[in-house]
Amino acid sequence: MIALYVVAAIAVFAAIRVIVEKNTGRKLPYANVLGFAVSGAVVLLIDHPLALVAAAAYFVGSTLESNAIASTYAGGVKR
Amino acid sequence: MLDEILHIMAAAIISWILFVTVDIFFKLPETGGVSGASAIARDIEAGGGALSGGTMMGNIVCSPDASAGTLLAACGVYVAGITGGLAAAVMVYVGNRICHDPGYAGTTGAVLATFVIYAFTLAGFAATDFIAGMVIAILTIQGLSHVHASRLLARLWRVRQ
Amino acid sequence: MILILEAAFGFIALVGAISAALIRDSYGKLISLGVLVAGILPFIVDRGYIDVAITVALIAPIATIFVLMVARREEA
Repeated sequence: MIALYVVAAIAVFAAIRVIVEKNTGRKLPYANVLGFAVSGAVVLLIDHPLALVAAAAYFVGSTLESNAIASTYAGGVKR
Repeated sequence: MLDEILHIMAAAIISWILFVTVDIFFKLPETGGVSGASAIARDIEAGGGALSGGTMMGNIVCSPDASAGTLLAACGVYVAGITGGLAAAVMVYVGNRICHDPGYAGTTGAVLATFVIYAFTLAGFAATDFIAGMVIAILTIQGLSHVHASRLLARLWRVRQ
Repeated sequence: MILILEAAFGFIALVGAISAALIRDSYGKLISLGVLVAGILPFIVDRGYIDVAITVALIAPIATIFVLMVARREEA
């Protein structure tokens, strides 16, 4: 299945760019691409409804994590 | 094999148009939302990008939006047809609320994408083409050049205003 | 999983782990740990442990949030 190879290649590319980028605010979009790619890869590997749940859980988790890092980096929620 | 590659590229273009349209419709590039998104937008602007485009990219990072909705809908349709896509939409809705996002961009994107992708599967595409296509689409916005992507999004945002 | 896919995700995990050790900036370290988890998740799923994958996927971000709370308290 070509789709899985495409997604894995994009994941590797995004992972390299996350690490190489120095600025935190610009790292996070690359990390987001990595999250998309791994979520897609999880579903492409196992064709089962639970894999969909795993992909959604991982994606929401990685988004929540990026959100927390970005908020803390920004100086916290303004009260 | 070449067939599949062409399908994936077509799926990428369709997914790109879908999620960018829904996100701009839901005013994602508007400044003043989540603090994390503003921080990312500031850094993208400092690197030479446009602020409103950067805000949309920041919002895509900080909460499941139409791009996430489209990806998970494609996964859902692959696993279980329309039911799977709508189940994915429910999960995107829950994810939005967990990330303190009161908006509906993600859920709308997911529901819309479910029907669009299902229609294309009847026309000879495979749902896997849309999974790969959506990842390619998000790569073009968030993973290649932040400067160019944010300027393009800012220009599309100006059209909407 | 086919060898080249295993190599790709293994590479991602390795890059995440090494950069977590070498990068000085705290936010950079946390993001590198995220890359590490992204690399190992496909291995867990591929073996069929989908429930383990769901658990890891939910716990790793919560752990990151706890680390951020600790870091913020030290900064303040």
